[in-house]
Amino acid sequence: MLLDVKGLRVAYRTVYGDLEAVRSLDFAVEKGESVAIVGESGCGKSSLGHAIVRLLPPNATYEGEVLVDGKDVFSLKGRRLREYRGSDAFMIFQDPLNSLNPVKRVDRQMLEAIRTQKIMRDEPYDEEEATKVVVEGLKGVRMPDPEVILRRYPHELSGGQIQRVVIAMALVMKPKILIADEPTSALDVTIQAQVMKLIKELKAEYGMSVLFITHDMAVAYTVADRFLVMYAGELSELGPVDKVVTRPLHPYTTALVNSIPHKSKREGDLVAIPGSPPNMLAPPSGCRFHPRCPKVMDICNTVNPGVKQVEDRLLRCHLYD
Amino acid sequence: MLFVARRAVNAFITILIMIALMFAIIHLVAPTPEDLARLYVGTHFTVPELVQIAHRMGFYQPIYVQFFNYVNGFFHGNLGTDTQYGIPEILVIEEYFPVTLNMVILGTILGVVIGIFTGAIAASNRNTGTDYGIKAIYLGTWAAPVFLVGVFLQLILAYELNLLPTGQVANPTLAIPAAVTGLPLVDAILAHDWVYLYSYLRHLVLPAITIAVISFGGITRLTRATMVDALDKDYVKLAYMKGLPKRQVVWGTAFRNAIIPIITLMALAFAFTVGGAVVVEDIFSYHGIGFFFVNAAYNLDYPAILAITVIIGLAVIIANFIADILYGVMDPRVRLT
Amino acid sequence: MESKDTNKAGRFRLFKGKSHTTSVSVHNEAEVPLGESSGLRFIAGFIRRDKIALTGAIGIGIFFVYGLIQGIIEMAADYTHNLALSYVLLPSNPFQFNFARSLGAPTLANFPVGIFGYDETGRSILSRILYAIPKDALASVLIVVSAIVIGMFLGISAGYLGGWADEILMRVTDAFLAFPLIVFAIALSLTLGNGYVVVLVALTIIWWPTYARFFRAQALTLKSRGYVEAARLSGLSPFSIIVRHIFPNAIDPIVAIATLDFGNVILTYSTLAFLGIGVQVGQPELGSMAASGLQYVPRVWWYALFPSIVIMAIVVCYSLLGDRIQDMVGGRLSY
Repeated sequence: MLLDVKGLRVAYRTVYGDLEAVRSLDFAVEKGESVAIVGESGCGKSSLGHAIVRLLPPNATYEGEVLVDGKDVFSLKGRRLREYRGSDAFMIFQDPLNSLNPVKRVDRQMLEAIRTQKIMRDEPYDEEEATKVVVEGLKGVRMPDPEVILRRYPHELSGGQIQRVVIAMALVMKPKILIADEPTSALDVTIQAQVMKLIKELKAEYGMSVLFITHDMAVAYTVADRFLVMYAGELSELGPVDKVVTRPLHPYTTALVNSIPHKSKREGDLVAIPGSPPNMLAPPSGCRFHPRCPKVMDICNTVNPGVKQVEDRLLRCHLYD
Repeated sequence: MLFVARRAVNAFITILIMIALMFAIIHLVAPTPEDLARLYVGTHFTVPELVQIAHRMGFYQPIYVQFFNYVNGFFHGNLGTDTQYGIPEILVIEEYFPVTLNMVILGTILGVVIGIFTGAIAASNRNTGTDYGIKAIYLGTWAAPVFLVGVFLQLILAYELNLLPTGQVANPTLAIPAAVTGLPLVDAILAHDWVYLYSYLRHLVLPAITIAVISFGGITRLTRATMVDALDKDYVKLAYMKGLPKRQVVWGTAFRNAIIPIITLMALAFAFTVGGAVVVEDIFSYHGIGFFFVNAAYNLDYPAILAITVIIGLAVIIANFIADILYGVMDPRVRLT
Repeated sequence: MESKDTNKAGRFRLFKGKSHTTSVSVHNEAEVPLGESSGLRFIAGFIRRDKIALTGAIGIGIFFVYGLIQGIIEMAADYTHNLALSYVLLPSNPFQFNFARSLGAPTLANFPVGIFGYDETGRSILSRILYAIPKDALASVLIVVSAIVIGMFLGISAGYLGGWADEILMRVTDAFLAFPLIVFAIALSLTLGNGYVVVLVALTIIWWPTYARFFRAQALTLKSRGYVEAARLSGLSPFSIIVRHIFPNAIDPIVAIATLDFGNVILTYSTLAFLGIGVQVGQPELGSMAASGLQYVPRVWWYALFPSIVIMAIVVCYSLLGDRIQDMVGGRLSY
């Protein structure tokens, strides 16, 4: 098991009280496996990703345990933490316009990554050799004319190109797990498909584990082995992609699947989930999904269901008690 | 470069509008040629004398001719004649402005440096004691009236501790070095007059610190804000992901981006400190343009007031222009446009 | 393409309803819907919960309520030519000479008249400060509000019309902003004639360009937004668009800017008074009291110090409140 999350809780202190973004979350990712975390915005999926690489803002507190390749992530400090980032886990972010430092050329930014890693491993750093690695990395992400791209500033690249540069950086760093936080949501649909294909190929080629954070089940479906559906900071359903999509068990998953537009059929409205995501400062009592749930029962108002194993899935729902 | 040319044209148009503004104010306040003459030469003249003066100064000509003459005069350094000393204003400005410029530039640099570093430190330690401490200090100095800061520093450093002189540009018993550049600091160095230089620097410290104290708060605040924004950006997170140490991420990646907007603020800070210099020079009897300006205000010496206002406006526009160019140098995205 | 809006709303519109509710951004994407609409009510709610902002707000509240009451009394006294009426609320007559206690040090005797000491003619510094406060309160409100109104009108028109109108406004504001506040204020006040009202007018003339630029920027960004475009295409008049779309979006940032600016006005106003601009002889004025006190420094420190500290205290209240509101509006308040 490469990534093991146990009893994770992430909370933010706000003027309005504590905001629990992630609550008692347990799951694991195997080596070479990819898991997609899906849910509406504000469900805590981004906080989860940031917690794993320890990039939460200063007002955040976290409890529980995150193990990556046996390392207890929350206890890492200083140099150990820096070694962990990049070598064990690498995260790419959603906004291509802000992913690269606007005032430095692309080559500086990629070489910086290699140099830092070399210095930490006490290996000699050779600029020419590193440049070759970087060019190889860019070729690895199917970037035409890598030498030209390297001499450019980020604002001279397109969103898709930037996202590929960032993925190339991940390639060069060779992390054990890649966390991709909505890497395609700001891209056009065609570019989106290319980037997804790329991530999928890289996963197969390098045996990298991928944690794919998205609100878009259709996109996630193409890369993921398993879905982790989150609602209001909690796990709703965790299971293999095919089974989750064809036979969702949790009412929230059902609603998410129904809201995917079918490109083949043009008829009919999109099915929206009624209501809106809960106010996380004052989450609903009982099951957090009950105010929007079509199959709500009396018990849902008062008791928050625990996570239980149903077939090969994990579920948090009273329907399967 | 097209970018520089466009900024230069903008700056030039702004200067023209500024002159027009001054011209409009003068003519609104003094609608008749006699009023104008009185404004320019003072109140101790009879009406026939004023008519004569107005004729001599061309105040009976059509308004557009007068405007042309005014603009023309401005660019030829003709800013009117001082009613107190009876010499052309341009000579007064040449004499006093460099002294102020010297002090203000030093004070602004000091303020900007303090502001940028405290702001960046506050942002990278957000919501900690350091952050709140810096905030308390800058909100305090920001809210303090210039005269309070000046008097307070004068009391402590000059009167109580006797570390520094209480006022004046330099020890008045020393001979002033020959004016080559006009800037006393440079002139003293050129003349190898180390005694004067030492005295000059000692007298410069208090006003410059006062200027720095009143001006750094705004810069701290803005740097903190831009730095907080920058630290939240994905490229900063990516820099952390590369394994870079915090120090390098904060100062190498975030800081470099955060100070770009500050460059624009530097020009504003310059304008602000020039304004502050008026009061500071009054408190420290520092004989620069501000001291002269306040003096002119007490004596209702309008030509001096208007000439100095225009010249200071000109200095600020030039400072803005320089800041724009610097901005282009720092930010690759601006160069193209 | 809809791709630009995908981040927030979700590509498949997972939930219905307008996204017009304000939220606190705690962590780039995890926004917390608070269920309150944006604008003044939201800001008021925020102030109630934030200790620092609340401290500033209470200070400002006291300053204004007192300023209003005392101001009305002073106006009534002026109108009825009954000087005694003007200081009914004050501990003592602020105009009463008493050379026996000239430059007297702060004392608890005759409390509270002497706690800030006495000036060169033996007048109570406390009473004179309290008498002067309404002028500062009035100046700050009048100048900022008129600057906002003028700036809003010119800025939105220029931003909305674009082209030459816009270019002219930008260059004119550039020219205005080139003059340092104090220098321009002195030049303008003296040219227009000296006095309290003249200073108010002069400061208003100086103050509007910042707001004009702000509203222009607002109008420009909003003009390109989809819903404003849609409103325009559906035949809504420019006036309705401004009232319905541009104005509500400007409220939050304008409150933040204005709060800080009230303090700036008071600082500038008192600095002018310090230099003797706009001051009537004998009338108490915080800045001019500090200036008179300066002559007796360092032996008599209280005369210059207390009026300055009162100015500073007022401005600190504005800064505390404005700073917090600005952080909140700018989304930089991470807690």
